[in-house]
Amino acid sequence: MKIHLSFVCFLMLFSITLSSQNKMPNVILKTIEGKTVNSKSTSNKNGLTIYSFWATWCVPCINELDAINKDFDKWKLETNVKLVAVSTDDARTKRRVRPLVNGKKWNFDVLVDENQAFKRALNINGIPHTIVTKGSKIIYRKIGYKPGEEEDLYKFILKNSPIKN
Amino acid sequence: MIKISKLIFVSLFLFSSYCLNSQILDNLTASYDSYSSYYLDDSKTGDFNFEDRFRSNNYLNLKSNIGYDWSFELQIESYLPKALLNFSPNFKETGISTFNIQYNKNDLNLSLGNFYEQFGSGMILRSWEDKDLGINNSIRGLNGKYRINDEINVTTLIGDQKKGFKYSTALVVGFDTEIDISEILSNDNTFITGFSYVGRSDEKSSSELYNKMTNLFSSRLDFSSSNFYSSLEIIQKSKDPIMLFGSLSDSFVKKGSALLYNAGIIKDGFGFDFTFRRLENMSLFSEREAFGNIYSESIVNYLPALTKQHDYSLANLYVYSSQPNVSFQSQKLMKAGEIGVQADLYYFLEKESFFGGKYGTNIAINGSFWNNLDGDFDYENQDYNTTLFGFGEKYFSELSFEIRKKWSSKLDNIFLYVNQYYNKRLVEETIGEVKSNVFVLESTFKINENKSLRLELQHLSTKDDMKNWAAFALEYNLSSAVSLYISDMYNYQSPKKENKIHYYNVGGSFNKGINRYAVNYGRQRGGLVCNGGICRYVPESTGFSLTITSSFF
Repeated sequence: MKIHLSFVCFLMLFSITLSSQNKMPNVILKTIEGKTVNSKSTSNKNGLTIYSFWATWCVPCINELDAINKDFDKWKLETNVKLVAVSTDDARTKRRVRPLVNGKKWNFDVLVDENQAFKRALNINGIPHTIVTKGSKIIYRKIGYKPGEEEDLYKFILKNSPIKN
Repeated sequence: MIKISKLIFVSLFLFSSYCLNSQILDNLTASYDSYSSYYLDDSKTGDFNFEDRFRSNNYLNLKSNIGYDWSFELQIESYLPKALLNFSPNFKETGISTFNIQYNKNDLNLSLGNFYEQFGSGMILRSWEDKDLGINNSIRGLNGKYRINDEINVTTLIGDQKKGFKYSTALVVGFDTEIDISEILSNDNTFITGFSYVGRSDEKSSSELYNKMTNLFSSRLDFSSSNFYSSLEIIQKSKDPIMLFGSLSDSFVKKGSALLYNAGIIKDGFGFDFTFRRLENMSLFSEREAFGNIYSESIVNYLPALTKQHDYSLANLYVYSSQPNVSFQSQKLMKAGEIGVQADLYYFLEKESFFGGKYGTNIAINGSFWNNLDGDFDYENQDYNTTLFGFGEKYFSELSFEIRKKWSSKLDNIFLYVNQYYNKRLVEETIGEVKSNVFVLESTFKINENKSLRLELQHLSTKDDMKNWAAFALEYNLSSAVSLYISDMYNYQSPKKENKIHYYNVGGSFNKGINRYAVNYGRQRGGLVCNGGICRYVPESTGFSLTITSSFF
């Protein structure tokens, strides 16, 4: 038990000293067509980027992306925000990604992180997990999704976007 | 052990102090996960018959860049006083679980220490981490990747494999190359071909009939255009001994193989996907003796069940786990692998159409069947010969139909129907078979901007095994931060009166940014717990649990 406590103390020490700004890591991802891309090249040069980590079997993830998709044309028009939906599906369910994305008519970029290198590099424990970046800096992170939270996300985007149309 | 732990703590403290004064800190990210349980005696399901009622698994992960090209990752794990029930005894006390240093410059990536890697679809090699299942089969050694002109990827690796805090005595080596032919030819369609080699040298076992080294070769070809894709992967595995009643046979030695074909058609609002897979004697463990271990340790390759991964408890009652192995139990129970297909269809009914309604409707249909390989099985002489495309006795089949419908800005529904056949005798090597129908209705009602209610109703009907089940879950999201739930699962038609048990759970969670705290009190059903197509048995338990996940950035 003692060791456990010291463990937690150690962590606290870290959390206090950590700076709140962090850069996006650079790892290799695949497009849904199977092409190799560097995660660095996926960010929006002109405006904010939302990275949404999801999987075909994750019901709340799909609910969130469906909810965003409903208004995404408006979001894009108003703030030029880019959304990258990062599928963490492994070999078991990866095949469903492309048909599902088409079947749902999602109107944003989808990348595949099959062995979860990107997810791991960002210390993501569970999905859904949403990250917003400005340039290469992470400015927002959130785990989980409850109905209506997409509105909060959009408020944040509106507030921080360099572009407001 | 406490001394060692103290030493680790002190060194970490010193390390962190050092970090305070260096640029490493600017780029440091950390995550902490903790899963704790306090197990109770239960008048219905029995007393807790193990040591230590309080158990806790803790994971601290640290990552940072050192300068522009270097980075490191360290994961410390602590299982105190003991690991949660159903975790391998190789996870105990506190220690450094994984550590690696990486050099990343231009198109070169070198990693020394523990690394995670996957070749192709993972059927020949995959190392990954899954905390829920207690899997961390990372390889400790050297991993090098090089990319040539965005056209060719080359990966090599060598190392030993992690099991708990220990390492297997066997050596794993691998080589993979992936060539983007379309990039070379500047073609609009995508053509990618790949070749892999994996070798596993198990010093502990060899005989006149087989080597300590097992070699696997694979080749694959992927094609993708704007509305069609297809991929083929073929693997050959050299001779490996069969495990018979818990020990390796000296005489029953067979080759293995895998064949995977996948194709799909996609259009706006429509998607169809088809997969065929055949596996024969394909499991690979870094130590042969680890074959079939209940903790899923020492797995070198990834052979998940290719069935729909359900999110609802009753649809997961008779869940299929893949059957890649040879098993000779009796004259009537002989298996050499599996063969089968899976198909998925997705369709979006347009907004403002007759069936689509105001918001449109999503339809998803999934079907699969998996059979034993067909062939001549000889129990007396312990041998078999299979046919390439022959289907033997059925293990499992499933047909599911899912509709997602938004009725208004307030109300959403998901309806799921699943028809399952599960050959318990052949898959679990026990008795019986189960034909079942599962119905699920999920409704989400948005009360206002931040409050919502989600109700899940499930029913499983079957005349076999344990007969009918019913289940419900009710979730109340009070705000974007707080959520409460109550759920129950009840085998109301169980033929045995003592098995009519309510598997109830109540709990709540609190989210703040990227920190999440969840508490639960309830009764967990024993049985197969699956994640990503890998399943294992867990014992029944009752108690309190606390989960903390947080990251710092």
